[in-house]
Amino acid sequence: MLLPKFDFDEPATVSEACEILAEFGAKAKVIAGGTDLTVNMKKKLLSPERLVSIARVPELQRVDASSTMLKLGPCVTIANIAESGEIGKRWGAICAGAKALGSPLVRNRATVGGNLGSARPAGDMPPSLMAYGARVVLTKKSGQRVVFLDNFFRGPGLTEIAPEEIMTEIQVDAPPPHAGAGYINLGLRSSCDCNIVNVASYLVLEGPGGPIKEARIVMGCVGPTQRRAVSAEKALIGKKPCEALFTRAGEAAMTDSTPIDDFRGSAAYKKEMVKVLTRRTLAAAFEEALKS
Amino acid sequence: MAAKLVQLTINDKEYDIAVQANETLVDVLRYRLGLTGTKKGCGQGDCGSCTVIMDGNTVNSCLVLAVQANGSRITTIEGLESEEGLHPVQKAFIEHGAIQCGFCSSGMILSAKNLLDKNPKPTEGEIRSALSGNLCRCTGYQKIVEAVQSIAK
Amino acid sequence: MGNFEVINSRASRIDSPAKATGSALYVDDIKMPGMLYGAMLQSPVAHARIKSIDVSAAARLPGVKAVVTAKEAGLVKFGVSPARYDETLFCHDKVRHHGDNVAAVAAVDLETAMHALSLIQVDYEELPVLITIEEATAEGAPLVHDGYPRNICAEIHQEFGNVKEAFKECDLIKTTTFVNKRQDAAFIEPQGCIAHFDIFGNLTLYSSTQSVHYVQRTVAMVLGLPIGKVRVVKPYVGAGFGPKAAANHLEPAACLLSMKTGKPVKMNFEREQVFMHSRGRHQFFHKFTTGVKKDGTIMGLDHECYLNGGAYTSFGIGTVYYAGSLLGGPYKLRNMKYDGYRVYTNLPACGAQRGHGGVAARAGWEQQLDMIAEELGMDPFDLRQKNMLVAGDVTCNGLKISSFGMPECLEAVRSGSDWKSKKGKLPRGKGIGMACGFFESGAGYPSYPSDTYHDTVLVKLAEDGGSALVLSASAEIGQGSDTALAMIVAEGLGIPLEMVRVQSGDTDFGVDLGAHSSRQTLMTGHAAKEAAEDARRQVIEVLSEELKTSAQDMDIKNGVVKFKMEKPDFTPLRTRYIKEHRGWLDNPATDDELSFREASRIAFLSRGTIVGKGKYKPPVPGGSSKGATVGTSPAYGCSAQVVELSVDEETGKITIEQMTDAHDCGLAINRTSVEAQMQGSFSMGLGEALFEEVKFDSKGRLINGDLAEYKIPSCLDMPKIKSIIVESNEPNGPYGAKEVGEGAIMPTIPAILNAVYDAVGVRIYELPMTPERICTAIKEYKEKRIDAEYEDQSKRNRAGSSIRLYD
Ligand SMILES: Cc1cc2nc3c(=O)[nH]c(=O)nc-3n(C[C@H](O)[C@H](O)[C@H](O)COP(=O)(O)OP(=O)(O)OC[C@H]3O[C@@H](n4cnc5c(N)ncnc54)[C@H](O)[C@@H]3O)c2cc1C
Ligand code: FES
Ligand code: FES
Repeated sequence: MLLPKFDFDEPATVSEACEILAEFGAKAKVIAGGTDLTVNMKKKLLSPERLVSIARVPELQRVDASSTMLKLGPCVTIANIAESGEIGKRWGAICAGAKALGSPLVRNRATVGGNLGSARPAGDMPPSLMAYGARVVLTKKSGQRVVFLDNFFRGPGLTEIAPEEIMTEIQVDAPPPHAGAGYINLGLRSSCDCNIVNVASYLVLEGPGGPIKEARIVMGCVGPTQRRAVSAEKALIGKKPCEALFTRAGEAAMTDSTPIDDFRGSAAYKKEMVKVLTRRTLAAAFEEALKS
Repeated sequence: MAAKLVQLTINDKEYDIAVQANETLVDVLRYRLGLTGTKKGCGQGDCGSCTVIMDGNTVNSCLVLAVQANGSRITTIEGLESEEGLHPVQKAFIEHGAIQCGFCSSGMILSAKNLLDKNPKPTEGEIRSALSGNLCRCTGYQKIVEAVQSIAK
Repeated sequence: MGNFEVINSRASRIDSPAKATGSALYVDDIKMPGMLYGAMLQSPVAHARIKSIDVSAAARLPGVKAVVTAKEAGLVKFGVSPARYDETLFCHDKVRHHGDNVAAVAAVDLETAMHALSLIQVDYEELPVLITIEEATAEGAPLVHDGYPRNICAEIHQEFGNVKEAFKECDLIKTTTFVNKRQDAAFIEPQGCIAHFDIFGNLTLYSSTQSVHYVQRTVAMVLGLPIGKVRVVKPYVGAGFGPKAAANHLEPAACLLSMKTGKPVKMNFEREQVFMHSRGRHQFFHKFTTGVKKDGTIMGLDHECYLNGGAYTSFGIGTVYYAGSLLGGPYKLRNMKYDGYRVYTNLPACGAQRGHGGVAARAGWEQQLDMIAEELGMDPFDLRQKNMLVAGDVTCNGLKISSFGMPECLEAVRSGSDWKSKKGKLPRGKGIGMACGFFESGAGYPSYPSDTYHDTVLVKLAEDGGSALVLSASAEIGQGSDTALAMIVAEGLGIPLEMVRVQSGDTDFGVDLGAHSSRQTLMTGHAAKEAAEDARRQVIEVLSEELKTSAQDMDIKNGVVKFKMEKPDFTPLRTRYIKEHRGWLDNPATDDELSFREASRIAFLSRGTIVGKGKYKPPVPGGSSKGATVGTSPAYGCSAQVVELSVDEETGKITIEQMTDAHDCGLAINRTSVEAQMQGSFSMGLGEALFEEVKFDSKGRLINGDLAEYKIPSCLDMPKIKSIIVESNEPNGPYGAKEVGEGAIMPTIPAILNAVYDAVGVRIYELPMTPERICTAIKEYKEKRIDAEYEDQSKRNRAGSSIRLYD
């Protein structure tokens, strides 16, 4: 499998990169780990005239976990996230997503920014990040904007990033006390698998044991982009957490999902799994909330 | 689309080589430098037969642009042997019958070596997990896991 | 069992150092001066008439050296079995499947070759696409090949005994169905080759193949070359599992391009093309009706099977026969009726894959036997033990069982898995299951009718006496045949393994049908043993002349000549040897025993190069019915497995937790290699059981032609395997050895099926057992249980009690 021909730039800084993108616009494409882009290019699905490699721009590789916020450089690798103790301690579901992604080999190259940028409906990073309410910073030569992940994905492979923009940071607030999250993905194989369904749930309790103050449930693989299970979230607010409540929320989440039949599974099965995974991730989130 | 000059340190040897932007690391290793121990079973990151160690981490060299590897230190299967002979992982694979057709073996051995470099006493679960990006159709992985266990101490 | 010096050990494989260091050369690792790169243009549609092909723009592209189509290649038909030669190198009138071959180019580099392909204009007129057996056999369906009405490529009707009569004596008659999915062999090295037609008109083809012999014949026939001008060489091969046992289209195409250009031409399949060439496991639709007596005696089997064959026959005639005949064992089946149909469709052609023809049949039937055991209230082990063949039996379809370690296999896995304390006692969601397997040890006949020897081997002793060189056309593809041959030769000559070198996989070395039908250890092994013994005999004859000692009184063991009677004075021989090696540091000391090295040097001095010759052709197998020859073999391997697993009842996901496997391989030439085959077989079976399925869209186009979406097991999907070797000492095998490579896969799928039933009470009649399929089955099962309990309750009118599902 050969790659089509293209020109290559490796800017040293974000501003240099922005200059290049401002010049070439839609003809250029950012490449980070390349684990998504090169495959698409080999399959001749994409054929950009120019690749701008940002994988080694130092400012995009930082991990900064303060008491209030996690700031992730988009070029932090999935392996580094999976292994990060400081992320795992407070944002465990993000690590769970990272651990579930691809294989060890892929994780060593793949980046979190690339995972969001590739906008796969089955991606392993978006559900947890969305559940924690993450935002991304998009930078271009003339300025910056912050976009909530909830508003970031536009469809399979499509995002809010404009041709001349680069994602330069991912921001996740630190969960308040009595909060917890869980992420579960279901695939066929135990490694290197595209998910059939994946769900992340996030809960904040009023105090130890409840009731539920805030809930975010994000489902993957059941629509053109990741979806919030809005009615399930609603069903949780103000209620005392228990297994029966989570089951009801799971059932509500089914109605929030719009999966299609495809070669990975039927819509009916995916819906059914939304129910199961929602219940299980809520239970995991609750367990973590009790401990925090 | 002019060629770019890249500098690669492969198995402790420095190479200055002009590559096209669209050349992958695996192709440069195999077809330009004759390091054919690195295999190519799929070309899209699925099989792991192209595994090399790049700056301390295993990667699918079929997904790495050679230009993106500029300045990197790379270890291929050809780089494991030293003056003392075969690397312990290579010896263990031979002794335990962990090699059948051998097409996955270069990648598998490098993944195992990299694991042991980072974690000299992995559990069976950690071994399986570290090798899970290297597909092997021949062995059922059992003897591979046994080989790694035999030197995990 | 005998006292062996070399075989039956755990010697390290002779090829593993090269593979562990990356120095082993596979075909794509080879580069030749002036080499061109070829690429194949393949059909983007599944069924279409070719109205025109215009290659002019491609031919004009700078860097392109040749473009060939059917016009240049001719229309010689080929395939696996001459009865169904139904392929040509390139399509000329129509394409029959997505990926069918249309044209090939050779250019200075791959990029140019690929670019040239994109410039070839083919005008297709699309035809209706036949994907399923129902579509293909429907009245009025278009024909994939003329002359095969209703697209039936092959049809078999056999009856051994009288099933109808037998069923009259039965207490239980059970009918079930079973269907698997098309499986891809998914070897990690895609097919590839380099052809070099030199200035002398000799063609050398280096190819990733399982059989240099069959490839040589096909290439010579297709290109109209004398067979003596065609040499096929197999470098290291990254496994095959069946599909590489016949010529693929790259091989004659590369040869043709090399003939046109006079340059070496390399061609490779990309991964997707591996799937499009296919030739792996068929999809089988089985229906089994089995009759048994109350005591468990199996009386008869009525078996019907439809195979979705794809667009060409490939190995399919054998496949459809095997699907029936391999159920002839391992049980005493007194009556067996088989109706098999292989159907042409517009999918890539299926062929042979590990466990050729028998895997789905075994899976479906062993599951049925499990059901029968349950209905009879018998332990599944007991049912099998009761019906087991024994050595000396001849099956109803004429298979002669000369050794059979089945009781030992059963006992080994029963105790090895602690079956007694687990069966029926595990908590819901956890299950244990068992099944048996049976397979031939090499096919009784070559794929073309011939009296050819199946294998020839030469053992040439180095003129200096220091080593033995084994020359064979056999195919080491990862299974360990080179090591097995080396060990057999070392044993036969009486020398240490280190003194043996093997050169194999080259048609210049003789005839060998290659690596398939689990044949090489037994068949090539026979020839190797004979060749080694022939060489040894010649050395001993010379010694006998020189030392005036009877040949019977001499033996060679571990590289040393042993004298059974009084030791003769061999000082003159030693003196001669040492005189020739003045200054050498490793000469024998005066009181050393006479070494093989000295003896074999002396033999050379007396007779010239010592070459031992060996050959093998299986004894003419029995069976008089049509097709009874398929499945006949000099020997049969057998096996039993126990699988333990858990099922997540909500998601349907199965986790295989533990596996206990016993296989009777007659005698293990190399114990490590036997276990390795058992474990590799298990992983392929596990993949087929749980994940693997090649998928096509409604137009017959491949959907999942990569190793991301076609899922073979990873290291994390495999359980711990306990492998137990059983040795029954096969009288028809070299040193008692028989097969393991293919037969070991047989029990895997049914053992998993039976364990799933034990865990959650559902029977699965369709593979793969994806979470969705299991989840759906569990749901249906629960609904049925609710209905049943509800009826039960209303009958007994026990109002008020709650419905409880499981406890
Ligand atoms: C074998 C294999 C298995 C995989 N398994 C999984 C899996 O299980 N789960 C999963 O989610 N994914 C999987 N992937 C997909 C892929 O590895 C991930 O999505 C990965 O995180 C992509 O990161 P990257 O850095 O390699 O992205 P790249 O390929 O470099 O980029 C992907 C896209 O994002 C854009 N982009 C990247 N960074 C930025 C940025 N900072 N600003 C703007 N745009 C940017 C690029 O332009 C491109 O369009 C797998 C891939 C392979 C090859
Ligand atoms: S060739 Fe790189 S992963 Fe398969
Ligand atoms: S040894 Fe053949 S693929 Fe691993």
